[in-house]
Amino acid sequence: MLELIQLSKAYRQPDGYSTPILSNLNFQLGAGQSAALLGASGSGKSTLLHLIAGLDKPDAGHILIQQQSLTDLTESQLAQLRRTTISLIFQQFYLISTLSVADNIRFQAQLAKRYNAQWEAELIERLDLTSQLQKYPHQLSGGQQQRVAIARALLHKPALVLADEPTGNLDEHSSEQVMALLSELVKQAGSSLLMVTHSKVMAGYLDQQYWLKSGVLHSKESA
Amino acid sequence: MSMLLLSLKALLSHYWRYPWQALFLLVGLCAGVGLWSAVQVINSHARASYEQANQVLGTQAHFWIRAANGTGVSTQDYTALRRLGFREVYPVVQGIITTATNQRIPLIATDPIVLPAEVLQTNTSTVAFNDLAFIQPPYQAWFPPDLANELNLTANTRVLLKNGQTLPPAILQTQAQQGRQVLLDIAPALKALQRSTLSYLAVTPLSSERQTQLEQALPPHLRLIPNRQSLDLTQLTQSLHTQLTAMSLLSFAVGLFIVFNAVRFSLWYRRPTLRTLRLIGVSVQTLMLAIGLETVIWSIVGSSLGLLIGYGLSQILLPAMSASLQSLYGANIGSHIILQPTTVLLAWLLTLGGLIIALALPLWQQLRLPVLPSHSLSTYWLTDQRTRRYLLLAAIGLSILALVLYPLISTLIQGFILLGIVLLAGAWALPSLLALSLTLLERLLPKHSFQGRWLIRDGWAQLPALRTAMMALLLALTANLGVEALVGSFRTALSDWLEQRLSSDLYVQGSSSFDLATLRANPSTATWLKAVNERTQVTLRYQDQPLVLRGLDHSAPDTQELGITQALPQTINLWRNLDTQQNWVLANEQLHFLGSKQIGEKLELQTPQGLKPFTIAAFVHDYGNPYYQLYIPNRVLKTYWPQPEPWNISLWLNNPSDLPKAEQALLNAGAKAGDWTVQQTIKAASMKIFERTFAMTAAINSLTLWVAGIALLAALMAILQERLPEFAQWRALGVNTREQWLVMSVPLLLWASITWLVALPLGALLSWLLIHKLNVMAFGWSMPLLWSMRPAGVLALMTLGVIAITLVVVAWQLKRQLPQTLARLGGQL
Ligand SMILES: Nc1ncnc2c1ncn2[C@@H]1O[C@H](COP(=O)(O)OP(=O)(O)OP(=O)(O)O)[C@@H](O)[C@H]1O
Ligand SMILES: [Mg+2]
Repeated sequence: MLELIQLSKAYRQPDGYSTPILSNLNFQLGAGQSAALLGASGSGKSTLLHLIAGLDKPDAGHILIQQQSLTDLTESQLAQLRRTTISLIFQQFYLISTLSVADNIRFQAQLAKRYNAQWEAELIERLDLTSQLQKYPHQLSGGQQQRVAIARALLHKPALVLADEPTGNLDEHSSEQVMALLSELVKQAGSSLLMVTHSKVMAGYLDQQYWLKSGVLHSKESA
Repeated sequence: MSMLLLSLKALLSHYWRYPWQALFLLVGLCAGVGLWSAVQVINSHARASYEQANQVLGTQAHFWIRAANGTGVSTQDYTALRRLGFREVYPVVQGIITTATNQRIPLIATDPIVLPAEVLQTNTSTVAFNDLAFIQPPYQAWFPPDLANELNLTANTRVLLKNGQTLPPAILQTQAQQGRQVLLDIAPALKALQRSTLSYLAVTPLSSERQTQLEQALPPHLRLIPNRQSLDLTQLTQSLHTQLTAMSLLSFAVGLFIVFNAVRFSLWYRRPTLRTLRLIGVSVQTLMLAIGLETVIWSIVGSSLGLLIGYGLSQILLPAMSASLQSLYGANIGSHIILQPTTVLLAWLLTLGGLIIALALPLWQQLRLPVLPSHSLSTYWLTDQRTRRYLLLAAIGLSILALVLYPLISTLIQGFILLGIVLLAGAWALPSLLALSLTLLERLLPKHSFQGRWLIRDGWAQLPALRTAMMALLLALTANLGVEALVGSFRTALSDWLEQRLSSDLYVQGSSSFDLATLRANPSTATWLKAVNERTQVTLRYQDQPLVLRGLDHSAPDTQELGITQALPQTINLWRNLDTQQNWVLANEQLHFLGSKQIGEKLELQTPQGLKPFTIAAFVHDYGNPYYQLYIPNRVLKTYWPQPEPWNISLWLNNPSDLPKAEQALLNAGAKAGDWTVQQTIKAASMKIFERTFAMTAAINSLTLWVAGIALLAALMAILQERLPEFAQWRALGVNTREQWLVMSVPLLLWASITWLVALPLGALLSWLLIHKLNVMAFGWSMPLLWSMRPAGVLALMTLGVIAITLVVVAWQLKRQLPQTLARLGGQL
C-alpha cells in the first residue's frame, strides 16, 4: 500500500548549511494497517507526512502509494490523488470556516464524487455530530471540530489516512475518545493509517509503532 | 515615552513584513493627492495667468476710438489727437496674418513710445520696450512661447507670409505676455498686414470732463466707444475651474477608498500585534497615540510623494488645459508652473484628514474588541451584514435628500454637492446590491451542486474585503461614463452647430475694406453668388453684463436654420418675416438661463434714441458663448443704430468650383488677400481646438479608472495574503487549481459586472445632471444629452483588463508562495 524507499530530505539553513532531516529512510505499510510515528520534536515527523501527501518533494528516494510513484505525478494528478486516495487530519483541524458542519463533512467526498449517504449517516452517528450539522466550525468545541475533520477524512473511504498529532489540541478525555473512534472507524473504512503522535497512550491504539530518529525509522522493539 | 516608541516600532515593523500593503497605502495616497494637486496647481497657475492676461494691451483700455463706418483709423487722425494733447490715446493694430505655410496667427501692435504711464506700469511685457531695437528697422517680432512652439520657430528667423511680406526677426519670449499673439511695432505690423490704417485707438481711463473734451475733439467719422467687452477673466473661467476641482476631488475620493481599504487591512493583520501590546501592558491611549503618529508619518510621506506626482502630472496636462481656456474664453495661460505653499499645506491637510477618516472607523472597531478572543474571518463576515444594512439605509437617506435638494439647487457649488450626494448614495447602496447578486446566483445554481454552494459561501466571505474596492471601481466607472457622455454630447452638439453656423463657403472679416455694394454692382457676380449674410454688431451692457446685438440678414440660409431651443411657432415666424409691429429678437439661451428671460418678454435697450423695447421671439443654442447675445434683422437694427460695427460677411456660392471667380471678385471689390477664409478650414480648426479642450478631462478621467484598478488589485492582494494558509489547506484536501480559481474569480467577476451595470444608470444620471443642471447653471447654455453604449463597452473591456491583470498578479504570487505555505501546513503559521 505505502512504500518509502531510500527517502532523503534536507532543509537549507539561512547560514547556508543544509540540515538533513530524513536520510535514506525505508518504510512499508500494508493495506488496512495502522502505524504510529513517534519522535522528538523537530525530528522530521511532519516533514515525512508532508512528503507522503505530496505537499512537499523529497530530495532523493521514492514514495509509492498503491504501486504508484509520487515523483511521476503532476500537480493536478497529485490533487486527484489527495482527493481520492489520501486523507489528512491535522492538529489544527482545518475546517472550512464558510461551510456548515454538514458541508465540511462532505467536502472531500463531494469533490471526489464518492459520496455515500449511508456511510455518512453512520459516521455522523458514531462521531456524535447529529445535533451539530447546521452549525459552523467556529461554533464547535475543539473535540467536536476534530470529529468533523475525522468524518471528512473518512467519508470517501481513502486508502491512506495521514494524521499529524490529531489529538494535540485536545484534553486527555476527548483525546482518548477521538483516538478510539479514529482507529475504529479507519478499520471500518478499510483504510491504512499513519499517525504522528507524542503520546505513547495514543500510539497504543495502533497496530505498530515507529520511532523517527536521526533521519531513519526504528520499529518500537529496536528502539 | 519608551512604551510609545516601542508600540510605534512594533506597528511599523508590520510594513516591513508586508511591503505590498505599504505600497498600496502609498499608491492610494499618491493617486488621490497627485490628481488633486495636479488640478490644483493648474488652477492656481491659470488664475495667476489671468491677472497677467488682464493687462494685455487693448483689453485693459477703457475706451476705444473706432471709425464709424467700421474701417480703420488713419494715422493722421491719431497724430492730430496726440497734438491736441490727448496723451491717454495710444494706437493699436490688430489682425490676422497668414504664413506661407497657411498658418493663421493673430497679430497685435502698438507704439511703445507713446504708451501711457499706467499701461507701462501694469503691463509686464512693456518692461523691455525700452529696447530701441523694437522700434527701429529691422524691428522685432515678439512671439510668446506656445505660439513659437506651434510654429516651430527659432530665434531671429523671419516668418514668411502668404502675401509675400516677411515679419521682423523673431524674439522668443519666456512668458506669454500678449496672449497667443505676435507683438510688433506699428510700422512693421501695417506692412505685414498690407494696411495703412490703425485698427483702433485705445484710451486709458478718463474723467467725465476729459471724456467730453475728447468726444468734442473727435472728427465726425470717429467715435468714442466704451470697452464693454473687458470682462473679468477670473469671473468667466470660474465655472471651468470649479468643475475641474470637483473632478479632482472625485479622484481624491477614489484615492480615499483605496486608503480606507489599505488601512483596514493593515490594522486587521496587526490585530495580533495590537493584542500582544495590550497584553504586555500598553494602554489603549498609548496605542491610539502610536497609531496617530503612524498616521502623521504616512500623511507626510504620502502627501510629499503625491505632490511630486501631481507636479509632474500638471506639467503634462498644462498644454491641454491651455487649449481649453484659449478656446473657451480666449484666455491665455503661460507654461511656467509654480507650486504654491498653500497647495502643499492643503494637500497635507487633506491627506491627514482622509487618513483619519480611513483610520477612525476601523481603529474604533479594533480597540473596542476585547483583548483576548481571536476573531476569525468567519465571524467577521457575519457582522458585515449589519454594516451593509447601515450603508443601504444611509444610501436611501441620501437619495431622499438628493430628491429634496434637487429643485432647490441654484449655484454651481450646490450642484456639485448634489452630484456628490448622488454618487455617495450609489456607492453605499452597492454592497447590498452585490450581496443581492450573490443571493440570486445561489438561487440560479442547482440546489444539489456542492461546488456551487461552496463558491457562494466563499463569496460571502470575500465580500467585506472586496466591497470597498468595488465602491471605488463604481465611482471611477460612473465618473468616466458621465464625463464621456458629456463630452460626446458636446462634440455632436458643437459639430451640428458649426455645420449650421459655418454653412457658407466664404467668410470675409469685418475689418476688411471690402465693399459689398461694389461686389453686387458687378453683373457677373450673379453667376456665382447664391446668398449673402452681412453681419453687424452693436455692443451694449445689460444687467451689468456685456450684451452683443448681432445684426443679420434674416433671409440668409444660416439665419433661417438657427438652432432654436425654445420658440412659439407664431413668434419665430414673425421674426423671420420681419414683422414690424414689435421689435422681435432672437436671444441666446444664456439670456434665458442666466438672465432669467422668457419668450415674449420685453427687453429695454439703450439706443441712440433712448430706451426702446425689444421682444424675445425665441431662444437659440449658442455653445460656449460667455456673453448675452441677441439676433436682430439688419433692417431693424439699422433703424435704431444707423451705423453698426461691421462684423463679417458670409457668402454662399452656387458651385464650389466658383471659388477662384469669387476670390477674384472679392479682390476687385476692395478686399485684401487674407481678409477672407474658406469655411471648411475654420470648421476643421474649431473641431481640433475642441478635441484638445477635453483632452485634460479625458486624461484625468482615465487616470481615475486606473487608480480604481489599483484599489482592486490592492484588495485582492490583501485577501490573498490573508487566505494563503486557507488555500494551502484546500490543496491538502485535494482541491485542484481549477476549482480554486473558480471559487476565487467567479464572485469577483460577478461583482465587477454588477458594479459595471450599476455604473450605467448612475453614469447616465451623472451626465444628465452635468448637462441639464450644472452646465446650464455654469455656462448658461444647454445641449441634447447623447447616450452611447460605446464608452460603456470600452469601460467593460478596461475593467475586465484590470481584473485580468489583477488575477495574473495574484496567480503569480500564489505560485510563488503556496509551496512554502503548503510545507508549513500543520506547523505554527
Ligand atoms: N520549511 C522549512 N525550512 C527549513 N527548515 C524546516 C522547514 N520545515 C521544517 N524545518 C525543520 O525541519 C525539522 C523537522 O521539522 P518537522 O516539522 O518535521 O518536525 P516534527 O518532528 O514534526 O516536530 P514537532 O513534533 O515539533 O511537530 C525541524 O528542525 C524544523 O526546524
Ligand atoms: Mg510536527
